Amino acid sequence: MNDGRDVVIRCRGVVKAFENGRLRALDGVDLDIGAGEFVAIMGPSGCGKSTLLNLISALDQPDDGEIEVAGHDLRSHRHLNHFRARDIGLVFQLDNLLPGLTVRENVEVPMYGQGLSARQRHARAMQLLSFVGIEDRAAARPPELSGGERQRVAIARALANGPGVILADEPTGRLDSATSGKVLDLLESLRRNQGATVVVVTHDPAVAARADRVIRMLDGRVVEDGSNPRPAVPAAPDARP
Amino acid sequence: MGFAQLVLRNLLRARVRSGLTLVGISLGITTIVALGVITAGFKSTAGAFVQSGGADFMVAQEGAADMSFSTIPETVVPQIAAVSGVAAARGALFHFTRAGSNPLFLLLGVTPGDLAADGPPLVEGRYLADGATDEIVLGAQGATDLNVRVGDALTIDDRVFHVVGVVQSDVLWEQSGALAPLVTVQEIANRREAVSVVHITLASGTKRDEVARRIEDEVPGVVSIVTADDIGKIDSGFQLLDAANVAISGLAIVIGGIGVMNTMVMSIFERTREIGVLRAVGWSGWRVLRMILLEALMLCFAAAVAGSFLGLLAVQAVMRIPSVRGFLEPSYEPNVFVQAFIVAIVVALVGAVYPAIRATRLTPMEALRYE
Ligand SMILES: Nc1ncnc2c1ncn2[C@@H]1O[C@H](COP(=O)(O)OP(=O)(O)O)[C@@H](O)[C@H]1O
Ligand SMILES: [Mg+2]
Repeated sequence: MNDGRDVVIRCRGVVKAFENGRLRALDGVDLDIGAGEFVAIMGPSGCGKSTLLNLISALDQPDDGEIEVAGHDLRSHRHLNHFRARDIGLVFQLDNLLPGLTVRENVEVPMYGQGLSARQRHARAMQLLSFVGIEDRAAARPPELSGGERQRVAIARALANGPGVILADEPTGRLDSATSGKVLDLLESLRRNQGATVVVVTHDPAVAARADRVIRMLDGRVVEDGSNPRPAVPAAPDARP
Repeated sequence: MGFAQLVLRNLLRARVRSGLTLVGISLGITTIVALGVITAGFKSTAGAFVQSGGADFMVAQEGAADMSFSTIPETVVPQIAAVSGVAAARGALFHFTRAGSNPLFLLLGVTPGDLAADGPPLVEGRYLADGATDEIVLGAQGATDLNVRVGDALTIDDRVFHVVGVVQSDVLWEQSGALAPLVTVQEIANRREAVSVVHITLASGTKRDEVARRIEDEVPGVVSIVTADDIGKIDSGFQLLDAANVAISGLAIVIGGIGVMNTMVMSIFERTREIGVLRAVGWSGWRVLRMILLEALMLCFAAAVAGSFLGLLAVQAVMRIPSVRGFLEPSYEPNVFVQAFIVAIVVALVGAVYPAIRATRLTPMEALRYE
């Protein structure tokens, strides 16, 4: 499915079980995702979507199988924190912002230990906040923001260290459709302007409709993998209205 | 935002909890500082007494429980004077009694001849006359406290003394006390033919430690007190102060450590998901550990500063008590504050290491799923 593009995410025979092996959340997942793809992962609740995303983000380890992301073999990677900081950007279903910090400070959090000065972190965070369109809320605390605003902060934080892969787990799950649309515009523009690979786990057919590839899962397996019925979005930025 | 600022944010988020922990630890530090300053003050005051009248050191009864209980028969004084290397041996008898508002007024019994030869400088009047029994020389502070002058009569323990002189002494106990003829003090104290301590002046060209040891070897039942720390040999109060100091530091570490641990465990517990987020966005376990340790260190550092300050206030308060004022001068040795800060750091480490390790043991996933 990757049309000869470089494979950025490769899963081979990935198995993940819980409850001492009684619950096979992932039961042999094979998957290749190419650079610059916008992929939606769909499927009923409990089919293993989040589990797969967590393994790809190295938040958890598979019981079996291989996962390679952005050229890193996650089984043998010795500095997963570097991988998580630089190679991927995570957007959670709940925004998971730190309530004690301001919006700008939240965006700075992943930049610690990346060789940036406090001033550079500040400047970069402001730049990212203006990219997601909420630089005017930089000094606010997350609890003062709307759900859509918070999710935009979360996207800005995911972009902190310029990752090539954005992984989002139901980023619009709790947003109304208008707000969802704006968050999706943002994710799409990342792919379009920065060539980022975007993987979105979603329930929402409207989200899936905007992806250029939809992967369906059931009971821990990939059961359908195909181009969107809708014509794929062209990769060139100027080709879109 | 700097890392330290981020850590400070975390502390300030739980103001009440951080504040209460800070108060708890700073009270421990207060005690350490107050006791340290007072112990050091007592030692330097006592150390000055060891060398009073230009003496090189002093001798007391071996195994005395308290310096004021030390008893050496008067007949031993010439024996000590005869030890080779001793130029002069002057016996003195302590008698603590009530005078004016001071319940611990020191009346020091001395031989008039010794006082005339080696006594502190006179500000007024004269020293004790040879053979006089009802004369008294006051320390300048003692005279002020009792509001008496040369020529006045002063009653101590139902005995009327004539004030014949006032001296200015570097030794606080003399300065706020009084000197009277040895025979009279022996009578009042009912310790006839006894002295408490013997001050030694060395013959020129002799070594202090050698002479001190020789006295112990040749004269049975006595011990040489060369430094203030040696006073512990004849004064369990002295040892008690040292022991109390160690015990309170130890207690402060244990109680403070448990307090910090409690605070940090609760705060880490509550922030488990946040720690999961930090790990998920790329923080290493080590960075999380550093964050938690730094939180505890900042808390304890603030407590050390506050506690030192409160300790100084406590010393000021204690020094208002007249009997204490006549007994010791506070000594603000840097060591005391260094000790307080070391205790604070140990408290922070003891309290934070377990929660920090616990927090870093969790995988990012476990932390994120934590409810
Ligand atoms: N850490 C875990 N411990 C136990 N069971 C889990 C854990 N994570 C996921 N599961 C189970 O694995 C299955 C797949 O979960 P998940 O990947 O979250 O599904 P989805 O995101 O597709 O709704 C579910 O049955 C879920 O209860
Ligand atoms: Mg899920």
